[in-house]
Amino acid sequence: MATELEYDRSLYGIEHDAGPFEVTESQIQAFSRGIAETNPIYTDAAAAKSQGFQDIVAPPTFCTIMVHRVSLPDIGLKFGGKPVTGGMHAGQRVQARAPITAGDHLTASSHLKEVYPKTGRTGTMVFIVWETTFRNQDGTVVADVQESFIRRG
Amino acid sequence: MLYFEDVELGDEIGPLETEATDDGVLAFCQVWNNRTPNRFTDQAIAEEANLPGPIVPGIMSMGMMARLLTDWAGAEALKDLDVVFRQPVPHHKPITIAATVTDTRQEDGENVVECDILMTGAEGERYVGGKAIIALPSKP
Repeated sequence: MATELEYDRSLYGIEHDAGPFEVTESQIQAFSRGIAETNPIYTDAAAAKSQGFQDIVAPPTFCTIMVHRVSLPDIGLKFGGKPVTGGMHAGQRVQARAPITAGDHLTASSHLKEVYPKTGRTGTMVFIVWETTFRNQDGTVVADVQESFIRRG
Repeated sequence: MLYFEDVELGDEIGPLETEATDDGVLAFCQVWNNRTPNRFTDQAIAEEANLPGPIVPGIMSMGMMARLLTDWAGAEALKDLDVVFRQPVPHHKPITIAATVTDTRQEDGENVVECDILMTGAEGERYVGGKAIIALPSKP
């Protein structure tokens, strides 16, 4: 079966910038509490400093909460000629590149990575994947985060 | 401290037995700037979304999975975690997180351990699955 997939391909190659987002000690502590983190470098500034970090350290997937502050455009998806809206968070990938500590100011740069159909038992679904690169105030890349969303045709 | 030489193909990591509490989810939504109440915190809103009750945010599940790996390998060791959200995760239900080593190799001067990781429920629910890459030091 031929798949008729239409969307705004001009979005490829365009970066959507957001931030800066300040990382605070209380944010990191609340994130750590939510995932029941017990490693003291993620919960206690003094412990983190004693291990050579600048300040309390963010757990490796911390940037996932920042992704939601980046507003991404609608890709105008049409499937078989019909617009498709709504969607579900299907998956997430975090590549941790460098430590994030309290006091950092992070900027986000997001782009459309890929759009592809997949046919399973329940019909055809379209996956939309966005990739966001986070940098700190020194320009160091601290994480790359991919988010994928499913829409059903 | 865990060293690369200590890890073998097929090694099991965990299991980590945990559960998500209402308070933990609420704290998580607040730090995330997600307006509450929402389907993660409120029974009625969850039911409107065709869910039996409030669920755990996907990125919170992912954070708990990362915790298994950083508890095992150390805070700076986790390089890549790639997960698929398969089923909604309920609050106050036992959650088991476990991983299995699927490859060990040296790549670009780094000692790399790859594993499959899975979050499951007490009735065999497969909530979240994925793959992780961990970098470990060599024995001195």
